[in-house]
Amino acid sequence: MQPSVENTYRVVRFMFLSSIVWLLIGMTFGLILALKYVWPEFLAFGPLQKYLQYGRIRPIHTNLVLLGWLTMAYLGAMFYIIPALTKTPLQYPRLAMIGGILWNVFLIVGAVVLMNGMTDVIEYAEFPYFLDIVAVILMGVIATICFATIVRRREKKLYVSLWYFMGSLLWLPLLWIVGNLPPSWIPGVPRFNMAWFYGHNVIGLWFTTVGVGIIYYLLPKLANNPLYSHRLSLIGFWTIAAFYVWNGPHHIQNGPVPAWLMKSGVIPSVLMIIPVWTVVANFFGTMKGKWHVAATNIPLRFLLTGVIFYLITCLQGPFQSLMGPSSVIKFTNWVIGHAHLPLFGAFSFVCFAAIYTILPKITGRPLNSTALMNAHFWLSVGGFLLFASSMWTAGLIQGFAWMSGKQYGPAFVEVLVALRPYTMARALGGALMVIGQFLFAYNVIRSLAPARQATHPTASTA
Amino acid sequence: MASSKAEKSIAPIVLGSLALFLLGVIGTVTLPFYDSSMQKPNANAELRHYAPNTPEARGRALYIREGCHVCHTQFVRPVKADSNLGPVSAAGDYFYDAPPLLGTVRTGADLMWVGKRWNKEWLIRNLKNPREMLPGSNMPRYDYLTDQELSDLAAYLMSLRPAPQAEGR
Repeated sequence: MQPSVENTYRVVRFMFLSSIVWLLIGMTFGLILALKYVWPEFLAFGPLQKYLQYGRIRPIHTNLVLLGWLTMAYLGAMFYIIPALTKTPLQYPRLAMIGGILWNVFLIVGAVVLMNGMTDVIEYAEFPYFLDIVAVILMGVIATICFATIVRRREKKLYVSLWYFMGSLLWLPLLWIVGNLPPSWIPGVPRFNMAWFYGHNVIGLWFTTVGVGIIYYLLPKLANNPLYSHRLSLIGFWTIAAFYVWNGPHHIQNGPVPAWLMKSGVIPSVLMIIPVWTVVANFFGTMKGKWHVAATNIPLRFLLTGVIFYLITCLQGPFQSLMGPSSVIKFTNWVIGHAHLPLFGAFSFVCFAAIYTILPKITGRPLNSTALMNAHFWLSVGGFLLFASSMWTAGLIQGFAWMSGKQYGPAFVEVLVALRPYTMARALGGALMVIGQFLFAYNVIRSLAPARQATHPTASTA
Repeated sequence: MASSKAEKSIAPIVLGSLALFLLGVIGTVTLPFYDSSMQKPNANAELRHYAPNTPEARGRALYIREGCHVCHTQFVRPVKADSNLGPVSAAGDYFYDAPPLLGTVRTGADLMWVGKRWNKEWLIRNLKNPREMLPGSNMPRYDYLTDQELSDLAAYLMSLRPAPQAEGR
């Protein structure tokens, strides 16, 4: 496979299709977890009792949606956007395809291994050590492909999306190494702190920064307006690079760490207001005079909603990292609601917008169904708002109940029983979200099916 | 600033990204290893320092295999929400804890000092059928574990208790 537009699109299509398969599987696991929370006997029979046990499949849900859905959707988007912005076809397309296939194999092996109870405990990276090494190698391969394309660019000016992509492609393998590869003999709180360096920064320096890069690419295109401020986007890049990396220790707030470490995690968390505001200000500036477009342009509506959820994330996050609020809501369902805000609400929405925008470009024909796209939007937004608001309420109830002394035994269970209406609402919201994603997958597959036949003769000669 | 020379070169972006990342790693990951309060075991840590292949060590491996840490913390903070849970956790308590099991969510109750709360028989019955012991509990049944495994897991949980010197700290 030589670098060509045709081969670039083949790789993009493969990444998007893989990501959607992982989205369906990962979110179905999430729904099973939500149902088990309400009915602990759900699917608890025969071998399923053991292999679909809550503690074993919760990491499968998080790893598949993070490393399967979001990461592969990001790779698809970057493999399209980088060639588009550099006016250069993707370099080493065969290697990119092999990397994508191996990443799928990595996820399948990881899910099976977790189901069998082999976990290295580090949250969002529970895959065992040998898979951690495989992941670093594949991340290195992907970064090499992207950098090779950027180095050989025909368009000399580096658009800001490329800044965000380059930063993220360097940070991901490095933060993975810090979190996953220290030898197992490093014990205790320092190791826990390293794990949270990874856990927080994989969100901040991969899921956030690639997502922001995609926003900056899609926004001027979808709104059909030039980007409001290039300078603001660069301020955003350097502030996120400077502050995000310090956020890890706020996960040990009120914990057994020295005060200086807590503060060094909390102060940069509050400063995160700056980079998020650069994105929001740029968004509002670019949308000026074009708001009516969001009424009819569904990808733009996904992007707009994603940016608003990103803003809420970065207002909620610093608040939670403070000592007082943390002492009430830490360890409760509030945090589950918060964690879904950037990952589903903000950046999955950005990916939906990206896939809906890029697919017609690579197939050369419009999407199969606008009605399905609209249904996908409303099920995702409605389901998520129900999910998140029930989790935030449940978290406050838990936090204050624990403060009133209901911390273990029958009193603790009393709180669990009181939470049932909220956990049921969570499961219902989750079900709506999952239904929306099945409509999304169906729509994408129908949009690709005729295009595949049309491009087949050219693809085989390439 | 528009289309300045700097924006046509990838070197400042790469070097700047790496430098800022490195600074954060040194500040939040490396420096804690030089803080003496995190580097000394205490009496509680010795109680949790299991010899290989003891019931407690096997129980701890089972605790990880079944993902108990996914729903239970071992993390008592100096806050009102943790006031009934026992002594506040200190870094020294976890000195031998590899991997550390502090946890992030309390779907179930905190287990830092669970060994002080119940006895072994109660724990095994609760693992086999949580809704018999605590009606309304949403913990999975662990009745697929063998008697030996249940006994090991309960032995581990019973070892999670403060050392006599640490009580009332």
